[in-house]
Amino acid sequence: METLEKRLSTLEYVSVENEDDRTTVTVAPEKVLELAKILRYEEKYDFLFDIVGMDYGDEGFGVIYYLSQTENPARLTAVKTRTGSREKNELDSVCEIWESANVYEREVYDFFGIIFINHPDLRRIFLRTDWNGYPLRKDYDFESNSIPVHNELIPDMETSHSVYMHEGHEEDVTRSLFDSNEYVVNFGPQHPAMHGVLHLRVSIEGEEVKNIDPNFGYIHRGIEKLCESYTYPQILHLVDRLDYLSGTMNRHAVCLCCEKALGLEVPPRAQYVRTIIDELTRIASHLLGWGCMCMDMGSITAFVYGMRDREKIMDIFEETAGGRLMPNYNIIGGIARDINPNFIRRVKEFIPYMRKMLKEHHILFTGNPIATGRMKKIGYLSKERAITTGATGPSSRASGWSNDLRKIKPYSAYDKVDFDEVLRTGGDTFDRYIIRLDEIEQSLRIIEQLIDNIPEGAFAAKTGAIIRLPKGEFIQRVENARGQFGVHIASEGGKTPYRVKFRSPSLVLVNALKEIVPRHKIADLIMIGASLDYVIPCIDR
Amino acid sequence: MNEFIKYTVNIAKGLHMLCSGMYITMLNMIRPKITEQYPENRGKKTYFENFRGELVMPHNENNEHKCTACGICMMNCPNGTIQIVTSVLTDETGKNKKALDRYVYDLGSCIFCALCTSSCPQGAIQWTNAFEHAVYTKDKLKKQLNREGSTLMTKNRQ
Amino acid sequence: MYSFKDITDGIDSILHLFLNDTFATLAELILAGLALIGAYAVLALTLIYAERKICAAFQCRIGPSRTGKWGVFQTVADMIKILFKELIRLDHNDRFLFRVAPFIVIIASMCTFAALPFAKNLHAIDFNMGVFYLIAVSSLGVIGILLAGWSSNSKYTMIGAMRSGAQLISYEISAGLSLLAVVILSGTMKISEIVEQQSEMWFIFRGHVPAIIAFFTYIIAGHAETNRGPFDLPEAESELTAGYHTEYSGIQFGFYYLAEYLNMFIVAAIAAVMFFGGWMPLHVSGWDGFNYIMDCIPSFIWFFGKTFACVFIALWVRWSFPRLRIDQLLNFEWKILMPICLINIILMSLIVVF
Repeated sequence: METLEKRLSTLEYVSVENEDDRTTVTVAPEKVLELAKILRYEEKYDFLFDIVGMDYGDEGFGVIYYLSQTENPARLTAVKTRTGSREKNELDSVCEIWESANVYEREVYDFFGIIFINHPDLRRIFLRTDWNGYPLRKDYDFESNSIPVHNELIPDMETSHSVYMHEGHEEDVTRSLFDSNEYVVNFGPQHPAMHGVLHLRVSIEGEEVKNIDPNFGYIHRGIEKLCESYTYPQILHLVDRLDYLSGTMNRHAVCLCCEKALGLEVPPRAQYVRTIIDELTRIASHLLGWGCMCMDMGSITAFVYGMRDREKIMDIFEETAGGRLMPNYNIIGGIARDINPNFIRRVKEFIPYMRKMLKEHHILFTGNPIATGRMKKIGYLSKERAITTGATGPSSRASGWSNDLRKIKPYSAYDKVDFDEVLRTGGDTFDRYIIRLDEIEQSLRIIEQLIDNIPEGAFAAKTGAIIRLPKGEFIQRVENARGQFGVHIASEGGKTPYRVKFRSPSLVLVNALKEIVPRHKIADLIMIGASLDYVIPCIDR
Repeated sequence: MNEFIKYTVNIAKGLHMLCSGMYITMLNMIRPKITEQYPENRGKKTYFENFRGELVMPHNENNEHKCTACGICMMNCPNGTIQIVTSVLTDETGKNKKALDRYVYDLGSCIFCALCTSSCPQGAIQWTNAFEHAVYTKDKLKKQLNREGSTLMTKNRQ
Repeated sequence: MYSFKDITDGIDSILHLFLNDTFATLAELILAGLALIGAYAVLALTLIYAERKICAAFQCRIGPSRTGKWGVFQTVADMIKILFKELIRLDHNDRFLFRVAPFIVIIASMCTFAALPFAKNLHAIDFNMGVFYLIAVSSLGVIGILLAGWSSNSKYTMIGAMRSGAQLISYEISAGLSLLAVVILSGTMKISEIVEQQSEMWFIFRGHVPAIIAFFTYIIAGHAETNRGPFDLPEAESELTAGYHTEYSGIQFGFYYLAEYLNMFIVAAIAAVMFFGGWMPLHVSGWDGFNYIMDCIPSFIWFFGKTFACVFIALWVRWSFPRLRIDQLLNFEWKILMPICLINIILMSLIVVF
């Protein structure tokens, strides 16, 4: 960190602040691109974790870039900038430096109306093209959009819009996404293999995919806006509904973020149980991911087997937490209620059962020559591309990028257990497939070590009836089943947050499709999509 | 020749893996089935007690409940599921007190977050594991939790 | 052994009492046609029910269980539903071809169906080139599929139809070559003679290794031809929603549905006829007592038993394996299956000659 500070102190337009686990760099809006280039190429900040748009009221709009290095992944560096006045809403795009900025900047543009100069594809990402205003601005008028009664017209030949600086003045450039002679097929929003309501426009040539354009927002619920009017305990219940397959981990992230802000000590019992529940959720999610992948390949039987085994976990959740898909178990300060007396017995019964079933799953599918033929050497994502597209989680660990937050920056009880971060180097669909089954094995190991040692004691720390976070900005990252889930809370000291931003691991995964899919076949497109294992409600927050 | 041996060995290996896959499906064919025969096993299967199925307000044998109509659950509810209609009662000492008139719970908009039960200072509301919620019209999902003519429990009256 | 000759001769003589030769033949043709259509429908429903139950068993489920005892009327109910459903009219498509396509598919599969020997002397069409007829007619269905894909004016159906065309033309070769091995062994193309020749011992045992290889290649190629099992690329659900019949509804879709199942049955039946002796019971030369007991089992039970055994294998494969990709599919045919079939024919000829 000293080198960074030393390097940045030579620049007069930045100021650096150091906190215990992150560095905050404040920069003038004109110099963002310059600083970004220094950070990326001189200081090796190769992973753009997230871009958070902010509305600072009279001080204009702001953007926070969260950056990380692959050599020092535990530390996040926040680069903050604010435009100064509400009239100024232009910033330089960092797309060319980090590929993942493409979708993040579109999101900020969509919600805050900040125009990113030189962004290659500055369309609205979630909202309809005919939407008025920018909803996450604080002065957004709720009446400005009536409930739409007509369908949005999405032509096959949609145009993309960008703003370039040309000899000192702005220039609007409009270009078509596809050529008029391309054969464009719509996959989704209703399609059996799109895992929700994702819409992919795919231009194909025979069986081969030439070009692909994902279209999001079909189930956007405005959760981030909603959070601004909710109290912190109420926010927890929306978080479950982001990535419904790793709901407990997402909740865990928000709880940790609030606890860190409040300085709350979580009892060890709660920490152990949270970890076990997280790992159970991870197993359930990976089983479903495995099953869906098999089903997308045409093997429906494997899907049913995956769901059958997942049912055991759902039963454990139902008995202990009272909910199946939405256990609502983590609360700020601990867990909502003590574990059921049967919990330990059931989990212990589950571990050998799952091990046996894993073996069967491997025989049924991993060894199958048809399946391996369809997966091996298909959909290659290199480590460098994985980092720059921001793809985290199992999908990028298959490319050899070690980014497991459970290892890098252990939270709850992860520092007390011994497990391996599964890494593979192939980066193809097969590696992304097998890594999930291997992670189930590791999760079982974690649970095995914790289940007998759950400490006695309180299961939740005492909190006040009304939880008020101190003024400031807080970020927490958690490894969920799809990658690094991040929650950024900006608080003004009230009982509701000023701004909440969730970093969805799925959004960048879908964006990575653009990178991986071209020159593959239609069947591979489905397979690659399944192997990235994205969940659409997490993208469409 | 080497190529030919590799070719045949590959085919044999592939066939072996395919057959072991088919062995797994056959194994599952003779295993007991996992389907739950729902309406038939009604009453035979035990459901988990903790399951959050529906909000209820327990009453004792004198038709008394514990709800003081303080409205904390209503405030905590994220999406306005609970509506408390109160009336003002004057007790024997002449003090005006709020009393519960109707406790309206809209199952249709409930997200089962349990913030109401966990925040209730009196423990007046509870979850049951009832899960058969299907009704023909949406307004039937709006339920009044306190019974007709029910009153506050005596020991909760201060 | 019970022969259906008594019944058919009886009907024939009764008809001749009332009608002259021409009309009697005409009436017989109509009767045979009606019987075949009836059998076709019943068999299709049975097969759909069987697939549902068997697939459920593989997946640790129960399957249809509400309509009637063990859900036996489920498929009947479904067919009634399909009959009542609206036939959706599409804009901007080729109406005539769109309507005709399902009929071509179902007629092709019915024509093949008619040439099967269901039991002793229960055999509607018995040419001296029956095997050739089977191969020729069963490949007509692809025209219907191609037309369906083309006339729907949809991108999914188009891709599905093109896949189907490529697939069928490739696998037709292997299926034909596998059957050719049996034709070499038997020396005839007449189906009734092929069955008769197996009265001593079924071809799969008599034909040594080549017959066994031919059986497996035929089963694989046959199912690829019917767009089932791991070869269901033309309708690949997760890629093309429903492939070539995406735009069809009601009974037009029902035709494709029935034809798909019947084609599966036909492939299994041809395999049973060519390799397991059709309706011919299991005979071991010398074991007279054993042969007598085997003869007591009616011939149609032998036929359907063997056919359903083959169908079961097809279902087992289908519910175990993932779908192939188009290049894998074609590689498999041209690089593995066809060379094997060609070598197999040479082997078979050598066995027959020496």
